[in-house]
Amino acid sequence: MRHIILSCFGWCALTVIGFAQAPPPGAAVSGGGGGDYKSSSAEGGADRIFNVNSDTVDVENGTMQWKGTTMNLGNSRAVRARFERYLASPPDAGDLKRYIAMLDQIQQLLSPGNITQDNYYRNQQEAFNLLFKAAEFDVDASNCLTIATQVQKVWSMKTEFRQIEVTKNNLETLRKHQESIIVNRADMIEEANDARSSAATKAKPLGKASTGTTELAFKVKDEARTQAEILAKNAEMTAIGLKAKIEFQSQMVAFLMARRYRHSIITSAFYRVLFKGGSQNIVVGAKEVKEFFPISDFVPTLESFDMLSREAMKDVSKGMLTVDDLVKQGELYSAFERLQETFFLGEFEPVVMAYPQDKKREMLELWKDLRELQRLGDEHDLASVEGYVNKVRGRARDFPGAAILSKVNNAINASNMSLLSAKSAALTGDMTKAESALARATKIWPQNPGVKQFADQVVGRQDTLAQKVPEFDRMLTEAKWREIYNKKLEFALALAQDKERSEKLRKVVNRVGELDANIQKASVLASQNNPYLAWDVIVEIYKTESDDLVLAKTRSDIAPLVANYAQLIGRAEKLEKDGSEAAALTAWLSAQDLNPVSPACEAAVKRLAKSVAEGAARKLSQPTPTPPSASAGDEIAVPPAKK
Amino acid sequence: MSKINPLFFALGIPVVVIVILVAIVVPRMGGGGDLGNLTRFDASAYRKDWATLQGNAYRLDCQIEQQLAFVEGRGRVLAVKPIEKDPSRTSGRIPIFVPVSAGDTFEVGQRFKCRLRVTHDLLVVEALERF
Repeated sequence: MRHIILSCFGWCALTVIGFAQAPPPGAAVSGGGGGDYKSSSAEGGADRIFNVNSDTVDVENGTMQWKGTTMNLGNSRAVRARFERYLASPPDAGDLKRYIAMLDQIQQLLSPGNITQDNYYRNQQEAFNLLFKAAEFDVDASNCLTIATQVQKVWSMKTEFRQIEVTKNNLETLRKHQESIIVNRADMIEEANDARSSAATKAKPLGKASTGTTELAFKVKDEARTQAEILAKNAEMTAIGLKAKIEFQSQMVAFLMARRYRHSIITSAFYRVLFKGGSQNIVVGAKEVKEFFPISDFVPTLESFDMLSREAMKDVSKGMLTVDDLVKQGELYSAFERLQETFFLGEFEPVVMAYPQDKKREMLELWKDLRELQRLGDEHDLASVEGYVNKVRGRARDFPGAAILSKVNNAINASNMSLLSAKSAALTGDMTKAESALARATKIWPQNPGVKQFADQVVGRQDTLAQKVPEFDRMLTEAKWREIYNKKLEFALALAQDKERSEKLRKVVNRVGELDANIQKASVLASQNNPYLAWDVIVEIYKTESDDLVLAKTRSDIAPLVANYAQLIGRAEKLEKDGSEAAALTAWLSAQDLNPVSPACEAAVKRLAKSVAEGAARKLSQPTPTPPSASAGDEIAVPPAKK
Repeated sequence: MSKINPLFFALGIPVVVIVILVAIVVPRMGGGGDLGNLTRFDASAYRKDWATLQGNAYRLDCQIEQQLAFVEGRGRVLAVKPIEKDPSRTSGRIPIFVPVSAGDTFEVGQRFKCRLRVTHDLLVVEALERF
């Protein structure tokens, strides 16, 4: 069989990914160069009228298209079972070569080239006898006996035909005799009538008109009966002949449709010998045969049957050669495809039945793996598909797994995207959309682990909501920004429906995020040997986030590196706070000497310098206070006595 | 022709030169007029505790680093770097207030001898002299 594209991949591999982008049933997916094996007859004249591109096996529907014609192989389960049984069964016993030679000999005996007037009966008899011998082989399944029975019936019919012919001849003789009697009696009556008429003319009155008419009537009746009997015999002969012809042709078509091509050819050969030229036209199966030949005015003949059978046998033979060749090349998957289609075209061909069991066993293992892969595909168990694809690849290196895996990945992504969409919709409170997206995700990949997680989240969300809201409020009241930030995802989920709290959460997250960014900036500056600038950053954010533990830790980490600088700034701030702006300016200038690029120092110096210049007049006009005595300054303040 | 004793020239010229030099150098070594009587300003003591220096007047030799602020009709705040007697000692910048009455023009890098008064925490320049 040439260019048959096996739909195994269609029902097996593609079904795996069918939920995502299912191709139409029977879509041609060529695997491992499977479609490149053409029979030697591909260029033959017959192919010009055959639609060879339509050849395909659809195991799902249990049909096979061959040369544009759909053959029903039975229901899909039975088809699969039959193929699996074939793979598992040992090859049929017996000498197949001898069997085939015997069938060939039968054909030879009945071929037009060998049949002559002299050996007409002898060859028939020899071929007839060989049918019984061929029927003894297991592979024959006693089909030759069926042909023999059919031939025997035709022979019996012929004997019966001859007997009827004899009877018919006897009846014809009788009829002719009866006819002569009738004529004779009629003549006699006519003569008597004539004589009486002439006597009456001599003035004698007429007496009795005529005698013997009653007898004549009975004779006529007898003759008519005989005539009817002859016609009945003729009709009987015609019916018997037609019946034999129809039965024979029916058997021939039955063999062809059952893909018993050799038996169909032998039946045809017998028919050609047993029936006269006038009976060679096709009565049974003409419509079916015409379907193989898409020509409007085509007239099917016996040779049409033979041609189809021989073409099929040739395809089967070529198919098995291809299978062998592919197995030798290690392309087991392609070999499997070719074997499957060849099996369905010619499962009763000896070459198929005799295929070695060890090779069939190998195919059977592959078949089981493919079935399992199909099952995984049917169940959309995407996570397991990859493992099985790799297993099949290990067994058949030409298995086109990349396309399957690619589409499986696409399906997984599609499922995850739908799940994500469901989550987003759930977070925004759009439960209808969430349900729809979740259903889509589940349909694509029912066992998506994310679906279960999502379901758990949804179930747990109500409980979480009840716990998280008060917890958030408490933390917010206690200004525990960092703790809120650390639980931002939990709070975000729990507070999704609460717009007011969500806004508060967003502000907290932004605040801590900005704080973290500054802390990170300070850490980086410190690590780049810029501790004074790092300290500036710390000092700036410390003004607003003094309670943050992370900031406090970073501050304590950097402080030892900038002890004098920090002390100067601290002192400057204290002096400014006390109103000693000029002294504060002095401290800031000292700090700026340590960190010349400090924006904080520059800003403070500018600010204080202006303030000092503006306030100088005021200070100059005030009386100079007496400086505190050194001893008084060193005294430790005594707490007020309790009264 | 009157003859001057060559010895007169041999001794007179060096003496004249020495006198001129002394006339130039001695006033400078003497600390510049009335500033020479003042105690040198101790910037570290001021930084440590300005209150202990309040009301005192000091001499400060300094170099102008930057003008920090200027208020029309009142004066300006300059960041100056004290010039220590011992060049190995360096001192950080300090701000001084120069009232508008002190006049003069100030450029970065100029050196001055100042009479400072510690008024509250403010270092006010009462008199100054370029050098």
